[in-house]
Amino acid sequence: MSAPQQDLNRDLKQLIIDALGLEDISVQDIDDEQTLFGEGLGLDSVDALELGLAIQKRYGIKIDADAKDTRNHFSNVATLAAFVTARQAA
Amino acid sequence: MARMAFAVGWPLAEGQPQLPLVFVSRHGETPRTFSILSELAAKQPLSPTQFSLSVHNAVIGLWSILRGSTCEMTALAAAGDGFEQGVLEAAALLAEGAPAVLLIVTEEQPPQVYGPWIDDVPFAYALGLLLTPGKQWQLAPATTAEPSRHGALPHGLSWLKAMLTGCDSFTHTWMRRTWNWHRQL
Repeated sequence: MSAPQQDLNRDLKQLIIDALGLEDISVQDIDDEQTLFGEGLGLDSVDALELGLAIQKRYGIKIDADAKDTRNHFSNVATLAAFVTARQAA
Repeated sequence: MARMAFAVGWPLAEGQPQLPLVFVSRHGETPRTFSILSELAAKQPLSPTQFSLSVHNAVIGLWSILRGSTCEMTALAAAGDGFEQGVLEAAALLAEGAPAVLLIVTEEQPPQVYGPWIDDVPFAYALGLLLTPGKQWQLAPATTAEPSRHGALPHGLSWLKAMLTGCDSFTHTWMRRTWNWHRQL
């Protein structure tokens, strides 16, 4: 993985922690491929909206909550990073 | 606010999975409300988390989820004598047959901007009481002719002070409602 990719992954993990107030975990506790919602990190639907909002604000991109592939983009940190990268390039 | 409520309520509810809860707060989550209104004024998107936690029954909702408890819970906002109104609500639940009722009275320190309107929260606090049926205390409401306010402390804290100093009777007045507390000897 390239250095910018690693940076983005780390920034996204920090964003998840900050936006959702996850006080008991740190960036090291979240794996790139760890499932974010339901099982895995155990986030819920309100967390999803909050995280979507934080990502839109931070990266200046638009997320369509109703789009079919949005769910896939939010699977884990790696998919989120790919999504943010693609949207920023667009 | 949820943290304060849980801090005082959790130890009292230990070992009682189905304990009814009466939650009382006059002003609720003013810091969250103010934050949402500020975002709204700046035409920023609103935080779903702030919204879901700002509603008045958010704390009892969290309590229910975290404790896995589905018994009766009530969230009240009742002017300056919410403490007595909460005790009354709890007494009604006891009269209906509940073996015990948890009463939590809590206020959050409001943002400074609310200063001109909120003058009954000297500091953030939470009071938790586990109430059981008994005849140790009597609480009687009365009406006063002239609206007045009694005491510097919120009623819940004033009550606690009276209990700790061994008072046998005292009175709380809010506007025209007076509440007479008497220890039964």
